[in-house]
Amino acid sequence: MLCDKCKKNEAKIYYTEIINGEKKEQHLCEDCAMEYSSFQMGTPFMNQEITLGNLLSTILGNYYKENSHSGEHAEKELHCKGCGMTYSEFLKEGRFGCVKCYDTFKKVLEKSIKSIQGSDTHTGKKPKGFETKTEKLVKELPELDKLAIKLQDAIEKEEFEEAVKIRDRIRELKKEEMNNA
Amino acid sequence: MLKWYKEAGNNSDVIISSRVRLARNLKAYPFSAKLSENQAKEMVTKVKDAGLHLQEKEEKKYYSCNVDMLSDTEKTAMMERHIISPLLIAKEQSTGLILSEDEKISIMINEEDHIRIQSIVGGMNMTEAFYLANTADDITSELFDYAFHEKYGYLTSCPTNLGTGLRASYMMFLPALTVAGKVIKLAEELGQYGIALRGTYGEASKSLGSLYQISNQKTLGSTEKEIMDSLNRIVEQVMKQERRQREYILTNGYDEFEDKVYRSYGVLKYAKQLSSGDAMTLLAQLKLGADLALLKFKDNYNIHELMMEIQPANLQCQLDKNIGSVQRDKYRADYIRKKLPDIQ
Repeated sequence: MLCDKCKKNEAKIYYTEIINGEKKEQHLCEDCAMEYSSFQMGTPFMNQEITLGNLLSTILGNYYKENSHSGEHAEKELHCKGCGMTYSEFLKEGRFGCVKCYDTFKKVLEKSIKSIQGSDTHTGKKPKGFETKTEKLVKELPELDKLAIKLQDAIEKEEFEEAVKIRDRIRELKKEEMNNA
Repeated sequence: MLKWYKEAGNNSDVIISSRVRLARNLKAYPFSAKLSENQAKEMVTKVKDAGLHLQEKEEKKYYSCNVDMLSDTEKTAMMERHIISPLLIAKEQSTGLILSEDEKISIMINEEDHIRIQSIVGGMNMTEAFYLANTADDITSELFDYAFHEKYGYLTSCPTNLGTGLRASYMMFLPALTVAGKVIKLAEELGQYGIALRGTYGEASKSLGSLYQISNQKTLGSTEKEIMDSLNRIVEQVMKQERRQREYILTNGYDEFEDKVYRSYGVLKYAKQLSSGDAMTLLAQLKLGADLALLKFKDNYNIHELMMEIQPANLQCQLDKNIGSVQRDKYRADYIRKKLPDIQ
């Protein structure tokens, strides 16, 4: 059999590609297989990141099939209220339509995101001024409780000089409270 | 002001450049897939203004433009110099760009994400590349409300960029590993550590001048520093392997290799027509020869700069007109002949 790509050399390699759940088989010669399967995926515009997007939608697609009793039924349920993106549309594109999609497709996303990223929780940079829910809660606590949390945190991080300062501040505050009472 | 590719960097025998990309989106707009043309236009106008803000804060000159209004040649030339991505060129919507004078910082508007901040510096210097991109991110974020999730971090159009939105990449020159046929095996190994290796312009690896990009794949769950540290550790290993392979060439085929390098110089210096593929292969030989001190130029010379200048669209931009490929090959040969310094 001749190579599907160059149509000149003998095809020695059977190359199977699965994109968006669709299987595509090709018979390639050694030269074309090297080129096709390593860095160049068809066109220069198909870079690695796009391939990753396709990979993601394939994994999500499989997960979704496993977890729905009726495909059609579940598909209707998953529909973003923010931008109107449907689940099948997302599977096809590999890209979300808006911020709200992350909440809409949360259930199917959670497990898959972990299998692709190796984690599902961000630990890096935050925009300036961004407060987490915990930080907001802590902010509303009385001063003494806030200091108690800070003290615990300093001890856990083994920042003992800071811990001593916080402890002294707690003592001062308690004294003031006693005097006021 | 020196452009990044004119600077001599650390480990420049193997590492051409260090690059950082941060993906950001504005909370108030739909992502690219659902963005209307009107919204896209509005976004370009709005974000382009950030260029002025950056200029004020950083005391550095910035330019901005509407990318969709540029000619195809101008766009491709920018892609060849890694200022913009192939995806931005292919977009049919309104797209924009903010670019620092030294071309170290570029901000793409309406690529896959609303904002993609990119910084690029010569040689192995991820710390500076990250510092530049991160500072630009801090300054830009003063103007816009970014889409940020407590658990998932920076929300991106594609979940594969979620979290830090950080892609750190090195452009590496691996001629010895390429000749030894070890690059594909290396790509497979790196894949196991969540590191991707791919060709620089997305063309077939053989005609690329042995240039490759090595970058992190995972963006969520590790801090920016952790991502860059693990990439650095792996790149150090790749660098060691490449240098070891170069030593092997020198000890086990010196004469043959020396002949190849000088022949490459001869062809580059006297050819009347050169396709970009041929020129890249020959320049790669020359760079390797110069890096190994096998051949010395009379003046200090950065061959990578020439590798970028002889790309098809960059050549046409210098000429200020579109020419056919035969004429281009002639012009390329002329250009290289004039630019190549004499050897000692």
